[in-house]
Amino acid sequence: MKKRNKMKKQYCIFIFLILLPLQSLVADGFTQRFPKPDFEEGYKIPETQIALARSGYWEYFDVALLTFLLSILTWLVLKKRSRNGVLLISVFTLLYFGFYREGCICPIGSIQNITAALFNADYFVSFSTILLFLIPLIFSLFFGRVFCAGACPLGAIQDLIAFKPMPLKKWVQSLLGLIPFIYLALAILYAATRSDFIICRYDPFVALFRFSGSFLMIAIGVLLLLIGMFIARPYCRFFCPYGVLLNWTSRFSQKHMSITPNACIECKLCENSCPFGAIDKPQSFKLYEKRNVMVQRLIFYALITPLLMFAGAYTGAKLHENLALVNNKVSLAYEFMNQEGLKEAEQNLEVRTFKALGTPLETFYKNASDIVRQFYIGSIIMGAFLGLVFGLTLSRLSIPKYKKGYWPNKGTCFSCARCIDYCPVKPNSIIKK
Amino acid sequence: MSKENKYLWLHKLLYRIAFITSIFVVLICILMLANFLQLKKSDPVNQKIINTLVERLYQNPDDHELRAQVRELDLLARKAYFTNQWQIKTGTYLALAGIAIITIVFQWIIINTKKIPESLLPEAQPLYMNNKNARKWIAIGGSMILLLALVSAWLTSLQLKDKFNEKLVQNKQATASDSVLQVSDNIDSNIADSSTITISANPTEIKDSNNVPTETIIEEDGSKDNFPIFRGSMGHGIVKQKGIPLSWDAASGKNILWKITVPLPGYNSPVLWGRNLFITGADANKREVYCYDKNDGKQLWKVEVKNIEGSPAVAPKVLAETGHAAPTAATDGNGVYAVFSNGDIVGIDMNGKLLWAFNLGIPNNHYGHSSSLLLVNGKVIVQYDQRNAAKLIALNSKTGKQIWSVNRQVKASWASPILIKWERKTMIIAAAEPYVAAYDPETGNEIWKNNCIGGEVGPSPAYANGTLFTVNDYSKFAAIKLSDPTNTIWTNDEYLSDIPSPVANEKYAIVVTSFGVMAVYDAVSGSKIFEKELNESVYSSPMIVNDKLFVTDKNGLTRIFKMEENFPEIGQNKVDDNVFPTLAFAEGKIFIRGHKYLYCIGKK
Amino acid sequence: METNEENKKGRREFLNQGIRLSMAAGLAGLGFYLVRKSHSEKMLWQLDPSKCVQCGRCATECVLSQSAVKCVHVYDMCGYCDLCGGYLRPDAKDLNTAAENQVCPTNAIARKYIEEPYFEYHIIEELCIGCGKCVKGCGAFGNGSLQLQIRHDVCVNCNQCAIANVCPSEAFSLVPESKANKLVGYEKKK
Repeated sequence: MKKRNKMKKQYCIFIFLILLPLQSLVADGFTQRFPKPDFEEGYKIPETQIALARSGYWEYFDVALLTFLLSILTWLVLKKRSRNGVLLISVFTLLYFGFYREGCICPIGSIQNITAALFNADYFVSFSTILLFLIPLIFSLFFGRVFCAGACPLGAIQDLIAFKPMPLKKWVQSLLGLIPFIYLALAILYAATRSDFIICRYDPFVALFRFSGSFLMIAIGVLLLLIGMFIARPYCRFFCPYGVLLNWTSRFSQKHMSITPNACIECKLCENSCPFGAIDKPQSFKLYEKRNVMVQRLIFYALITPLLMFAGAYTGAKLHENLALVNNKVSLAYEFMNQEGLKEAEQNLEVRTFKALGTPLETFYKNASDIVRQFYIGSIIMGAFLGLVFGLTLSRLSIPKYKKGYWPNKGTCFSCARCIDYCPVKPNSIIKK
Repeated sequence: MSKENKYLWLHKLLYRIAFITSIFVVLICILMLANFLQLKKSDPVNQKIINTLVERLYQNPDDHELRAQVRELDLLARKAYFTNQWQIKTGTYLALAGIAIITIVFQWIIINTKKIPESLLPEAQPLYMNNKNARKWIAIGGSMILLLALVSAWLTSLQLKDKFNEKLVQNKQATASDSVLQVSDNIDSNIADSSTITISANPTEIKDSNNVPTETIIEEDGSKDNFPIFRGSMGHGIVKQKGIPLSWDAASGKNILWKITVPLPGYNSPVLWGRNLFITGADANKREVYCYDKNDGKQLWKVEVKNIEGSPAVAPKVLAETGHAAPTAATDGNGVYAVFSNGDIVGIDMNGKLLWAFNLGIPNNHYGHSSSLLLVNGKVIVQYDQRNAAKLIALNSKTGKQIWSVNRQVKASWASPILIKWERKTMIIAAAEPYVAAYDPETGNEIWKNNCIGGEVGPSPAYANGTLFTVNDYSKFAAIKLSDPTNTIWTNDEYLSDIPSPVANEKYAIVVTSFGVMAVYDAVSGSKIFEKELNESVYSSPMIVNDKLFVTDKNGLTRIFKMEENFPEIGQNKVDDNVFPTLAFAEGKIFIRGHKYLYCIGKK
Repeated sequence: METNEENKKGRREFLNQGIRLSMAAGLAGLGFYLVRKSHSEKMLWQLDPSKCVQCGRCATECVLSQSAVKCVHVYDMCGYCDLCGGYLRPDAKDLNTAAENQVCPTNAIARKYIEEPYFEYHIIEELCIGCGKCVKGCGAFGNGSLQLQIRHDVCVNCNQCAIANVCPSEAFSLVPESKANKLVGYEKKK
């Protein structure tokens, strides 16, 4: 017996000798089972190549460039009144921000970063992202949506291929124009709960800009481009969530682009020049219904708006769990709950990995439950918000607007300057009434 | 006129160019689509055919034809994948170039045709009609969305929150019922202890043990829910707690309450006080003390031990199987005390504030310092048996100031000291070649010594019922009665341990050898009662928990034996890690530290 | 009539002005609030190899058709083994570069003889698709010197990394640029 002991001992010493040079065990399971060799023939251990990202300063360059482009566009649209200038800037934007920067310095997506930072103490945005989010909005607040005109690569690619735009009926536009609100509300909900960044995930053109992406996203991108030949800028008008914010700010813009440099003579030349249906035509009194009918309707919609908000909030509360399942932690808890009893082989990778990590179940369920609660509150707010949007849209559609002359709709006009080319009025001509 | 004609002719040509280009683009798109589908098929990572062929080849290694086939297929698969990628990329470039041409053509036409726009609307509807329609459709659309949302919510009816909360409550209840159990344990074990053990010199009742400072650390063996030092309250390897689970399994998660990774390695065992669990970790460059929440494994704090006066720039070389953090820390509810391979010793309060730190002098022993700390009456005891300078040191646990130090005429050792109480006297027992000796904790005076041990002493002594047991490889397993401490009552050298410490109760004295044999001797006569081959190396010291013996091998397998005739094995429980340190027990939970992970085991 | 209309216009312009200024103030306020919790550094995605379980999703989930996650060799940790768990299939019969013995599906690891008994392994990045098979092999049988990393020269740094969304071990996180590379055991040469 003793002999065997000795044998074992020798074996142990052998192992020790092998392991002796080894000084440090590196953290977290990276055990240096085999020592670093001592090379005799002068071999030098190569250095591991660290891949560095494009310097962060370039982001500031991009922000500066964006500001510059926006200034140029403002000048082109408001002073120079040149469609061709806007077109050129669009081409540049598409090439630089689109294909060269691969669509990923993007104020549209920055909504989510800003939201995530506002609602999560542990989420940080970089300073350039904040600038990226704010600058187009500030321009819009003073000069209209010049960002959409030619500084947004997504807008530029659609604008350039709008070959044969068909006019859409106004009511179709009003109806589809509500989609961005829903998209925005969902994006904010998911970003605030740190679940997903849906605007970026479903950015239709970024896959084209990168020449790489999932089949689905490329297909959606191509499809939107095909549609975009006939229905101008479908993404901008009916999906873009940043467009909602630009729309709001642009409505109160100080100096918005005008079709005519002087007073409108209502020559109707520009009437159908806008492929986006963003020109408000002159409206005279007599085309309208009776006054008391309209007043009654307005009161009716004003009254049902709170009801709509309540209905939205109620629906949000009902739906919040379905929405919450997008969140990884919630879906994992859900899967874990359902698969707890299963054999290991039948459990999915997430559940198996989670088990191996050994997070205490109590905190795990608590986290998931907390996130579901956030979704509950968030969904209620979202539902109420959407109810309000629907209510206000309905109310707005029952207010008659009497106006003279052709004017771009300050909310929806992209300041692309197409209509300007059609106006026969010159800046200096004196119009007599 | 002629100019217009010229434009017309040009426009016609341009339209034709655009038409041809668009056909080209469509063709490219179709090709790319086909390519894409092929790419999906030729996913290089999951080549089932190749893998099966390779497996077949491994069974018939001489099948040259098969080998050639494997190589060919492999090459084909890789080629297909990368060519496909190239094709898609080139295809996209071509398609985009086509689209660019079309765009330029159309834009040119648009710019150069200054014709008056036709009225595109089929019939100009008055605005109010449009508004009416819009209102109607928005109402319809809105209600559709609402309806759809409500129906889908109703159909799925997940009730996530309720279910999660239910699970949460279940998990909480589990812990709550545990604590109820622990309270009853406390009472039980207190009664049991007072009957068997002599009353301590300073019986401090620790009811709410969380951060309650106490003057003394002397307790009855394993009676409390704290686990202040290596191998339990006095270092005997005896725990008296109820509610300790007898089965667990890391693979299925059974009874695993939590599991965490410990940043730096170390072969020291956890020590516990209240909700705090302490362990240390170190490598050659970095030394850290960690405090975790016992209940959920959350790290409460960590302290990096650095910039200590007198600390060497380079840690001494140690054996890989000793590491730089082999000594187990000690805690008394006022603080936690830890020592490392380079001789750095620290006292840290329960909130992670450094109380004191200094260097004991660079250890001079060829495997690396591994003796754990002992606590007695506000003193931290360090058995610092270094080559040519062996001593036992007592430090004030609050200030780190030395209270006494005695030289020992012994060789270097790796064993930890233990504390015993015999006839109302508390003694520190320390073993090294050539003797085991008892010291007065107040003065450091040697009370007795017995030359019964030799070699490079690794195992710490065991004590039960007035008898002390020492063991070392190339020496002997010896029993000393404290009534006559200078003589041994029996010795045996059949199975000897060089790493795991022995453990004993009134009836049995147990040695587990590092090469994996468990031997049980009669504590009184020294005759072998039982032996068992464990088929795996054991570095962790066995522990007696109530009437059961826990033996954990290197692979993380803990065998549990009933301590009765034939030592029936009643459980084999595994954690997925190599385990060198000894198990710790507190409040019905077991804490197992492996190479990577720290497990908490308890009844779920 | 004229003056009435002009009054109306003036009032509306005044109202617009008020709203515009309050919106601008709101945006400025938002900006200042956000700047307080912003990073001046660029934020990048980081893959923590100590959390990675090599599930293989990095190869398939990246928005780029050839993933930006690739294997990186930390030479400082490598044992230069002849029998390399990251290079050879576990049951390989011969220790050579033959296709049937290799773990890597795309032949992206170059094996080079240095001296008895040491071999150098080098990752050919253009070929690596980030499947992590070699990483798994090296972690299981060797020192763990092969580690998956996001190659930031390839990565387009999506706002929300598509791999991070499906990573089962939560090994991805958004960190300031200076911390974007996390290699275990890497020693920077002076």
